[in-house]
Order: sequence, then C-alpha cells, then structure tokens
Amino acid sequence: MKTVLVACGAGIATSTVVNNAIEELAKENNIKVDLKQIKISEVGAYADSADLLVTTAMTQKEYDFPVINARNFLTGIGMEDTKAQILEELKK
Amino acid sequence: MQGFVDFIQGFLDLGATVILPVAIFLLGLFFGQKPGKAFRSGLTIGVAFVGIFLVIDLLVNNLGPAAQGMVERLGVNLNVLDVGWPATSSIAWASVVAPFIIPLGLIVNVVMLLTKTTKTMNVDIWNFWHYTFMAAMIYAVSGSIIQGLIGAVLFQIVALKVADWTAPMMSKFYDLPGVSIATGSTISYAPGIFLVRGLQKIPGVKDWNADPESIQKRFGVFGESIFIGLFLGAVIGALAGYGAGEVIEIGMAMAAVMVLMPRMVKILMEGLMPVSESARTWLNKRFGDRDIYIGLDAAVALGHPAVISTALILVPITVLMAVILPGNAVLPFGDLATIPFIVAFIVGAARGNIVHSVIVGTVMIAISLYVATDVAPIFTEMAQTANLDLPEGSVQVSSIDQGGNIVNWIIFKIFDLFN
Repeated sequence: MKTVLVACGAGIATSTVVNNAIEELAKENNIKVDLKQIKISEVGAYADSADLLVTTAMTQKEYDFPVINARNFLTGIGMEDTKAQILEELKK
Repeated sequence: MQGFVDFIQGFLDLGATVILPVAIFLLGLFFGQKPGKAFRSGLTIGVAFVGIFLVIDLLVNNLGPAAQGMVERLGVNLNVLDVGWPATSSIAWASVVAPFIIPLGLIVNVVMLLTKTTKTMNVDIWNFWHYTFMAAMIYAVSGSIIQGLIGAVLFQIVALKVADWTAPMMSKFYDLPGVSIATGSTISYAPGIFLVRGLQKIPGVKDWNADPESIQKRFGVFGESIFIGLFLGAVIGALAGYGAGEVIEIGMAMAAVMVLMPRMVKILMEGLMPVSESARTWLNKRFGDRDIYIGLDAAVALGHPAVISTALILVPITVLMAVILPGNAVLPFGDLATIPFIVAFIVGAARGNIVHSVIVGTVMIAISLYVATDVAPIFTEMAQTANLDLPEGSVQVSSIDQGGNIVNWIIFKIFDLFN
C-alpha cells in the first residue's frame, strides 16, 4: 500500500479538498492508499515512510519520492490532468 | 407576514449551531445537489461544531486556570487566551449572520467582476469565514444584521482590492500565474509590504540575509504543532506553580488541542466543501474565460522555504513579545501555527529575504497582539453566544489571526462609533 502525504499550509483547509479527491480516485480504481494530511512544514517528519507528496502549497526541496502540485484542485481548471498524474503514481 | 417574521425569529432563536447546517442544506439544493447529499453536508457541519466546541472547552478549561495562576504568581498580565483561527472560524460560522454570507459574498464578487472593480474571482469560499467574523462582530455590538452584512461587504472589498494589488508581486515571487490571494489572514498584513520596501532602502540593513536551510534545521521543531502544544503547556503550567504531575498533564492536554483542533475543523471544511465546489463551478462557468485572477487560499504560497523559515523564527519571537510588550494581554497559543499565513505577503515583498521578513513580521505581529487585546471583550462575548463555556474568573479569549486582524479592527471601530 502506498503512503501519500497530502500537505497544505495548515493541514486543514485546502488539503482536505485534495485528500477527499484522492480518496475517491483510489476508490474508483480499487487502489488502497494510506493518506496522511499534514502541514507542509511537517513533510520532513514523514519523509521516511512516504511514497508520494501531493501539495497545494509550493515546495522547492528535493525528496526521494515524487511531488505533485495540486493547485488545480483549488482552481477547478485542469483537475483531470492532475488526477491522471496522481493515478499513474499510485499504480506504480 | 407577521407569521413569517415570527417563524424566522423562532428559527434564529434555535441556536447558532442549527442555523448554518440548515442554510448549507438549502444552499446545496439551490446549487442542484441531491437532497440526501445536501442534508449530509448540513449534518456534517453540525457535527463539526460539536467537536470543535469540545476541543475549545479542553483548551480554555486547562489553559485558563494555568494562565490565571501565572498571572497571580508572576504578575505578567496575559489573561486573554489565543484560541487560534480554527476556533475563531467556528465562532464566526456559529453566528446568526453566517447563513447570509456565502450568497452575499458571491453576489458582491460577481458585481465587482461585472463592473470591473476587481480582477479577482475568489473561489476560496472557505475563507469567507473572515467576512462572517466581521459581520458577527458588528452584529454583536449593534444587534443589527444589516450593519453586520455591510461590514462584511466592506471587508470583502478590501480583501479583493488587496488581492488585485498584490497579485503581480505574488505571482512573480511564488510563481503563481493567474492567481491572487484574498485570504483574510494574509491581506491584513499588506501594510508590511511598505515596511519591507523601506527597510530594503536602508544602506547596510539591505544586505542582511540568512540561509533558509540552516534555519529550518535549527528551528524545525517550532513547525510541528504537537511539540509547540506540549512545550508551551508545560512551561505555562510550571510558571503557574503546578507540581510535576500537573505540568505533564497540561502539556499533554495542550498537545492534544493542537492536534485535535485541526481534525475537527477539517470536518467543518468537509461539510462546506460541496457548496464551495458548486459555487466554484458556477463562477468558473460564468467568468472562467475572462482575463482575471483566481483568488485562492494563501496556502498555495506557504511551502516556500523562506516562508517556513521566517514563520519558524517568529514563533518564539511572538511568545517573547507577548510577555514583554506593555499593555498586551494575549497569551499566544492557537495561532502560533498560523504565522506562515501572516508573513506570506511580507516574504514575497522581501523577495525571500528572511532577515527583512522577520523584522517586518515582528512589527506586524506586535500590532496584531494589541488589536487582539483590544477586541478581547467583544470576542469573548461572541464566543459565549456560540455556547462556549468559559471558566469562572477573568479569563477572556481572542485570536491573533482574525482577532488581531487590522482591517477587521478598523472597520469594527468605525461601526462601534455609531452604536
């Protein structure tokens, strides 16, 4: 099972939007994921166990796992592309 | 007609936590959701209120007496608890003015877009809570829903104008093309942009800088709410003269508040999300093809290393300032986790210069502490109206984020004059 970090500024508002979207996406495709909704400043504390970071915030740090920017989930424009990108990572 | 008025009055008397769930149910139906889904959203919001107020109780019943003890023993007069924005937003949404805000906010934004008085289409419906708080605060002093709503509209206009003005700067530094930030927590600190510009003209000072990586390593622990809760709780317990066992207990309780509060507010967010998504789709369909900015939560800027570093350093500075600033009565707690939102514009204006951002951030937070102290009596009254039980004694509540919001304060003071 993949561990996915979902991060935003406070770990509350925008990350909930992304969190629920990934939950649905995984369900539709019968993939089990372990979602951790956190603050962007907490990524370091979870880095060891993570397979993917999806964030509405920005990040310039290099991690051992792929990072997907999910700003599209907030604007509602281009959301399908981002979803496809996330799905591809989940299937790997 | 009288019957209708009585019915509305009876409904408003039902208690705040019933009103928003019903309003969200109706709004959901308006946006064409299935009744079952709309009902679920409304119910989720009611559940979230129950959860949030449980955690606020945990906060004030533990931290309140400890703060009192500290005040008595040391004479530091910090008897206003900073409950943080999650609790503040709940107090706002629990107000009787709340049901009007989402439709009104959408109408105001649409009118401003049509009249080209703003370029920002704010799809960040969640952060309408700042407008709600503004309205609730004015309602609390005036008893007039109309006045409250006028205040909310004024706040929204300022927010959109600041969002327009800062959009080029933000999009350049944070690489956010076509996006603007209208979040209430952030726009209040726009005056900091001028301070930054002034600071960066001073010879010598303009060359000061620091490296974000090393700061994150050294101050990293201040970024994790659970440790802030434990540490601050224990220190305040110790200062209040508690025994070792009690010190550990209050530290644990405060760590719990820091972890549980966001979880509870997440439920509130889940309840608001379907309406928020419908509203976004509705706006996108009508204005999506124009040359406008999409207004988003300031969260989109917050992962920048300079923002994280600046906010980390400002956590201990904020606590220290609260102790030494004469006249401040706010004990910083809940909103220590909100500092990244406070500095988003400042760091952008400073083009990532951490030293300049920390200096300006310090000044702006100092102002916020005074503003939050000033509004504490009315804030406390609002919390009590939202069915929050405060412990006996002279403890009050406020918050750095919206309680200390400068725009909120100025508009409130204007209305306060006439009431």
